[in-house]
Amino acid sequence: MKKYLYVVKTQIIKSMTYEFNVYGNILMQTIIMITSAFFWKALYAGQGNVGGVDADSMLTYIIVSSLLSVLFLTNVERRIQLSVQKGTVATDMMKPINPFGVYFAEDIGNIIALVFQNMLPILIIGCLLIKVPKMADIRDLPLFLLSVVLSFLINWLISALFGMIAFTAVNIDALIQVKKHLIRLLSGSIIPLWFFPPAVSKVLGAFPFVYIYQLPLSIYIGKGDCAEHLMQMGIQSIWLAILCGIFLFVHNRVTKKVMVQGG
Amino acid sequence: MKKALCELGHYFEVTMHVIKMAFLTIIEYPSNIAGWLISNPLQFIVGFATIKFVVEAFGEINGWNYGQLAFLYGISVISHALSMIFFVQGWFMGYFVIEGEFDRYLTRPLGVLYQFFFTNINIFGITDLIPGILVFVYGCVKCQVHVNAWFLLQVIVMLIGATLIRGGIYILIGSTSFHTRNAVDFGQYTQEIMDKTTMYPISMYPESIQFILTFLIPIGWVSFYPVSSLLGIGNGFANGLLVPFLTLLIGILMMLLAGAYFKAGLKKYESAGN
Amino acid sequence: MIDVQNLCKDYTFKRKEPGIRGAVKSLFTNKRELIHAVRDLSFHIDAGEIVGFIGPNGAGKSTTIKMMSGILTPTKGSVLIGGEDITRHRKEVVRNIGVVFGQRSQLNWDLRLGESFELLKHIYRIKQSDYEETLDVMDSILGIKEIIDKPVRQMSLGQRVKGDLVASMLHSPSVLFLDEPTIGLDVSSKYALRKFIKEINEVRKTTVILTTHDLGDIQELCERIIIINHGVMMEDGNLSQIIDRIAPFKTLVVEYYDEIAPDHPSCEMIEHDGNIAKYKFMKNDTTAADLIAELSKLRPIRDVSIEEAGIDDIIRIAYGE
Repeated sequence: MKKYLYVVKTQIIKSMTYEFNVYGNILMQTIIMITSAFFWKALYAGQGNVGGVDADSMLTYIIVSSLLSVLFLTNVERRIQLSVQKGTVATDMMKPINPFGVYFAEDIGNIIALVFQNMLPILIIGCLLIKVPKMADIRDLPLFLLSVVLSFLINWLISALFGMIAFTAVNIDALIQVKKHLIRLLSGSIIPLWFFPPAVSKVLGAFPFVYIYQLPLSIYIGKGDCAEHLMQMGIQSIWLAILCGIFLFVHNRVTKKVMVQGG
Repeated sequence: MKKALCELGHYFEVTMHVIKMAFLTIIEYPSNIAGWLISNPLQFIVGFATIKFVVEAFGEINGWNYGQLAFLYGISVISHALSMIFFVQGWFMGYFVIEGEFDRYLTRPLGVLYQFFFTNINIFGITDLIPGILVFVYGCVKCQVHVNAWFLLQVIVMLIGATLIRGGIYILIGSTSFHTRNAVDFGQYTQEIMDKTTMYPISMYPESIQFILTFLIPIGWVSFYPVSSLLGIGNGFANGLLVPFLTLLIGILMMLLAGAYFKAGLKKYESAGN
Repeated sequence: MIDVQNLCKDYTFKRKEPGIRGAVKSLFTNKRELIHAVRDLSFHIDAGEIVGFIGPNGAGKSTTIKMMSGILTPTKGSVLIGGEDITRHRKEVVRNIGVVFGQRSQLNWDLRLGESFELLKHIYRIKQSDYEETLDVMDSILGIKEIIDKPVRQMSLGQRVKGDLVASMLHSPSVLFLDEPTIGLDVSSKYALRKFIKEINEVRKTTVILTTHDLGDIQELCERIIIINHGVMMEDGNLSQIIDRIAPFKTLVVEYYDEIAPDHPSCEMIEHDGNIAKYKFMKNDTTAADLIAELSKLRPIRDVSIEEAGIDDIIRIAYGE
């Protein structure tokens, strides 16, 4: 455990090395958040309540969505790809420390740095320029936090699984993009799925993506009742279990394959 | 004059060879082709579906109906695709700066910016072009556009201009890495901001933002103003037949500006390994 | 051929403090430090010379050679190649130079080697007949045609360096810059590279400028060396003259019959291990023959050998160790 904590610490320092990137990221994310806010303001102009949500809740939705996006940045797929390309897979696997544990620790370290470098500034800017994103019902906070943790794990596992495709010696640049677009558009991060036709929205509900952004955000703005949220978190947990299962299965196969072939 | 033509011919010859090499590289890695063929169109098909759903839920967006939005979206995606083919390397300029990859361009007797973009030409950008053209044609049909030579000329002129504006912005952002000496990679964010400001009418934003997008960072000229003019949608500003040509002019100006900033940056280039 | 006048290069960099606290701190401060990587270098190189730049890591060799080849813009001073300023007329001047940087390749990684050559043929507008002729010459020196159809990513380092050497010579430049060309190469590749440099210098009269850490390269190739340390020129001149001037000594290695080694006033014992002793003596003070005679009077001698002051001695002295 100590080893992994060390990795986390090193990564925090690494992530802070490039101050220009830090400020650039804040600027870019602020612009994105503000344009989104005006986008929804314009759409809602003269309309009170669309799809069961009013303009004010929608603004909260996009601010919190911007904040959450910081948690869902992963580097694990690139790390796997690099270790395969550079041929260090075998030696990494032989080490007494699990490489996936290291990648996980690195992503955690990166996120901790980003919470301070990005999340806080964006929250402050959002409060000043758009509105204070108050939670609809503060009693839902534990539920919200729990669902965010599950979301984070689902997102990380999906990234890791896409990364593992690199073990088949395929260049995964394009696949990483596919993953990004799928999550961007089908998770409700930009446009919540309740604006989609019911049939489409239902189909997408069967995929894990919705449970990354939209579920925690719905809890936050209080869309739907508690029973509904609990039911969805049930599905979220099932997805997490499924992804965990696939991950472990692939992980064991990959480890065996690498050990036998020596990379 | 003759010397300039000769030089142009030289660049053309090199470009042809570089494109040939790009195709050879693609053939070298066939598994990549499938990936990009799925990835890029998927992004825009899903993106377009989203617009359709939003319009269905909210009605018009700021006075633009579904067909007009499709037209706008099509133009935006096509110019995006063209900028991906020629200028996407700008997103990664920081890595080239840090890794010292400009060494080789500086020791060859051609323009550095030209070599940077064209020896890394991204033929795969074509996969973005296909969904763009499909949506654009769909928008033309929905808007019952009367297609004639004059219309086509305006579309082509404005696409060239839009591509140059996008390219100029990528170069400006990329060139900052000469000064910061960091591998700046804002590609993802740039793309997201571009999407938000070129796929929807910017008239939906407050006037201050419109002002910025018109005069400071001229993204409004990529799709909004020329499309408004082509479709005859009044927006109180920049209406008239010549707007597509204005887009081209602004594109050229952006490129000149970006080129100058790049050149200034190149003076501060430090190579790698010292 | 090449005129370097008052060349200077400064860098700025930001010092970082260690730990998370240091990382946070550097986000809010902007303290930059200035380094003078190269200070006021001036020299002239004639056509057909082979000049070696030596100096420790970070001495400014690479920075100098990168300014001379147009990659870096000098902070002050100028580099003229064939009378033209490379900073001001980059495109025209680089037509006349070739560059090989050991760590970096200009070859296209994914494609066969020949494809990269073809691209250069178009970039430099090389006539087909000239192109083929150069390739033939290169084939006779380096055997390049054996690997011309091989994808670069599948090549060994030695093969890749050969590819880069040919790539740099396709347009028949009159000056060739090599930055650490032999780094990481095995003995036979090193040998091929040195042979290549000698031949193009002799046959094509190419001026060659190289930096290296490998003293073998210098001894084999260079008549003239320039020693740089801390961005300042320490020595510039003929290799053997520099040796005579700053290291006017030889080393006599004597093997005795037993472990007792005598001292002598005209020389200095610098090493004594078992039966073998090493004496350093100044060429002006005495000759090797005299010294052997003197020493053999003191103790019976079994065997002797004489070592010249080498380039590593020069460097050690010049770097002030």
